[in-house]
Amino acid sequence: MRPWSLLLVALVALPLIVGVAGLPRHDAPDAPIHTHVGTRYLERGVAETGFKNMVTAVLLNYRGFDTFVEVVVIFTALAAVLALPRGETADPDHAPGQRAPADDATGAPEPGDDAVATAAVPATSGPRDGSDAGRAHEVVPVSPVVLFVVRILAPFLSMFALAMLFRGHITPGGGFQAAAVFGAVFIALGLVFGLGRVARLMPTGLQPWLQAAGPLAFVFVAWFGWRLTGFFLGFPIDDHTTQEGMGFVLEVAIGVGGGVILARLFLSMEA
Amino acid sequence: MLLFGLDLDYVAAIVLFCVGLYMLVAKSNLLKKLLGLNVMETAVFAFIVTAGMIEGGDPPIMVQGTSAPFASPIPHAMVLTGIVVAVSVTAVALALIVQIHAHYGTIEVDELKELP
Amino acid sequence: MTGPWVEALPWVVALPLAGAALTPAVAARRPRLAGVWAWGVLLLATGLAAGLVYELAVRGPFAYDLGGWARPYGIELQFDHFSAWVLPLLALFVVIVPFSWRYLEHAMPRQRWPAFYALLLLNAGGMVGFCVTGDLFNLFVFTEVVSLSSYALVAVSGRGLAAYAALKYLFIGAVSSLLMLFATAQLFVLTGSLNMADVSVRLGELGPGLPVMVAFAALAVSFMVKSALFPVHVWLPDAHAIAPSPVSAVLSGMVVKVGIIGMLRVYQIYYGAGTLDLGPFNQVLVWLGAISIVMGAFFAIFQDDIKLMLAYSTISNIGYIVLGLGLASPYAVIGASVHVFNHALIKATLFLAAGAIIHQTGFRTMTDLRGVARRMPHTAAAMAVGAVSIVGLPPTAGFVCKWFIALGAFEAGQAPFGFALVFGALFIFVYYIRMVNAFYFQQPVHAAVAEAREVPWSMRAPIVLLATLCLLMGILGGIPLSFVEPAVLELLPAWGP
Repeated sequence: MRPWSLLLVALVALPLIVGVAGLPRHDAPDAPIHTHVGTRYLERGVAETGFKNMVTAVLLNYRGFDTFVEVVVIFTALAAVLALPRGETADPDHAPGQRAPADDATGAPEPGDDAVATAAVPATSGPRDGSDAGRAHEVVPVSPVVLFVVRILAPFLSMFALAMLFRGHITPGGGFQAAAVFGAVFIALGLVFGLGRVARLMPTGLQPWLQAAGPLAFVFVAWFGWRLTGFFLGFPIDDHTTQEGMGFVLEVAIGVGGGVILARLFLSMEA
Repeated sequence: MLLFGLDLDYVAAIVLFCVGLYMLVAKSNLLKKLLGLNVMETAVFAFIVTAGMIEGGDPPIMVQGTSAPFASPIPHAMVLTGIVVAVSVTAVALALIVQIHAHYGTIEVDELKELP
Repeated sequence: MTGPWVEALPWVVALPLAGAALTPAVAARRPRLAGVWAWGVLLLATGLAAGLVYELAVRGPFAYDLGGWARPYGIELQFDHFSAWVLPLLALFVVIVPFSWRYLEHAMPRQRWPAFYALLLLNAGGMVGFCVTGDLFNLFVFTEVVSLSSYALVAVSGRGLAAYAALKYLFIGAVSSLLMLFATAQLFVLTGSLNMADVSVRLGELGPGLPVMVAFAALAVSFMVKSALFPVHVWLPDAHAIAPSPVSAVLSGMVVKVGIIGMLRVYQIYYGAGTLDLGPFNQVLVWLGAISIVMGAFFAIFQDDIKLMLAYSTISNIGYIVLGLGLASPYAVIGASVHVFNHALIKATLFLAAGAIIHQTGFRTMTDLRGVARRMPHTAAAMAVGAVSIVGLPPTAGFVCKWFIALGAFEAGQAPFGFALVFGALFIFVYYIRMVNAFYFQQPVHAAVAEAREVPWSMRAPIVLLATLCLLMGILGGIPLSFVEPAVLELLPAWGP
């Protein structure tokens, strides 16, 4: 136990506990949470949005802009991981443990400066378009029990993900949950069968478009809603069919886009 | 649950937050620090979701089996977004840790500090 | 009645974000296209921002209900005088991106350019969203967009040290974001709403209380970490120094200001509610700001690496801004708000010029770069202009704001802090004189410096343009000051209408 760390944690805990001590009890029906904005959603949600799942109604309709920024966040994670060097940091004349001089970019080469190595290596050990198929990947040996179970479960899990995706507006579920399960299936298969085989599941030409599906679908639906209702991301209140359609497009885009992003994140995690 | 006037569910979330903070600050392995961060994030989500619960409530889905009172849907939406954000942060942190490991061969802060 | 430009408000946010999502797809086969695409998207967004500022100037602040849901049942976007910062912010990006075109050729392999430009666009879009949103949770999510892209942009140059600096930045930043989320949740539990204006009203009805104070403290700490105020500034020097120079310009100039804008929003909520006496807190800010000024300048003097020196200078200047906010008098807050912009301009000039010099010579320290002004006259001149501006000599951009903050100190009855400001300026003067002396009046020691050539025009033009603007803003300095005045007067309780 490190004393200074404990002290810091105690110093942080105190104001936080004080901060929640005075909050209204969470169970009480007259707490502000249950009497203000939330009640309108619960009372008029089905009529105004056409969704039965109020969480989906909040996510896609009432607070759709938040969800838009959320898909942008997960895309940012992918862009971040793709922008970092992968496989290039293996500098031949620079052993791990030696620190290179702090330098960002040089035009003039200097001995021991591993900016030369990065600049001189124009491509990673993979294909030029930055996709992950065809890279040399290690395969970790796995027990046959695990292999069997993953193989059997994978199709059922995928079906479950699809079910959550398509029924997200009337049952618990939705785009993100589906994306998480898709991603999990991909990761499980990748761990068990090796990244090389599983990377081929990703269509390399379509990849850049699929991973952008979330933000792009939101902008499209936002524009569509703007033409229809005059408001950015506006859903037409009385037209439940259009509302369901717009919601469906968004859910599919979130599910597919999120799943592709999670898969690519997993594939990029190799040094 | 109330104990000495303190809402225990909220306090539990704060305690979890502090456990995570301790992990983040005191552990010297970068992966463990990252796990501490994840625990902190989970604690905040637990706080948010607990806040939306209501006595005898049903999930906020308007189908045949459910009836008023309903739990508030807003905290659920907040936490869903929050989880995605947490995943994104974890992904970027992992990629950075991989890069550090590839470059230095270690992910222990004590060893990283020794390097010139 | 509102004009047609109000409709542009959600699009000015959506455009850079969608552009970022498209960048890898657009540039899949031709990575060079990524840079031009990013520039085009940013130009368009700047145009929209100009329209928004025009609407603001003609008809005053306005709001936009997303999805048609009235406040507080949906997410509301707002455009007030503090939001007008998005125009110079986007314009600075438009100037910085062309610099990156050439710079990137030696900084990273072509394959990673689309992801890099996507990150820049996300950073820009995230900051724009941050400045125009009227919803607390929305604010949190935009903060994450900005933060995540910043962490990655720091580490992009590929060295292990960069990754470590980025990771430290990430850990501290993530904790501060969690504090913001926690405070948002607290305010939601207290008021049942996430809309800033609505929360402000309901807090007023609730009255004072410990949870309200703790929420304010959590938000304040979170934003102070983001703006690298003493004592939570430790993440900044390594991160800003090790990032590629265009990224350093963006981080020091703009990203670090996110904390300031956030603090202004928090002030709007709490001053509006009127239930909390913010005096003691403001006094703490004044002290921390003053310490930051002196400490940042002090450490800067001892740096040989020019980028580390500039990074510590950023800490010092954030100290000025926070000092202004804490003094809470009109002159001080106006000066602080406009310094957000002026410092961004000056820091961008300095970092781009430094980046150009490093790019051409391969050296980063003042001892190595002696005499560089002979061979790179334009770049060195821009650096000198930036130096004069940041010291705050008239007639440059830095002068007016610091003068206003000093006046604000006297106006608020806290004269000693006005002197701290002058003191800090003297320190800054010392280290920039060192730099100018080294570049101009000493003999080169390295062949690379003695034979260096000026940077190509795609890199030189942004530097020269920014340096010219530094001088121009000194002469035209009154304009942004009077522009921000109405928002500041409305904000401050004691002096307001």
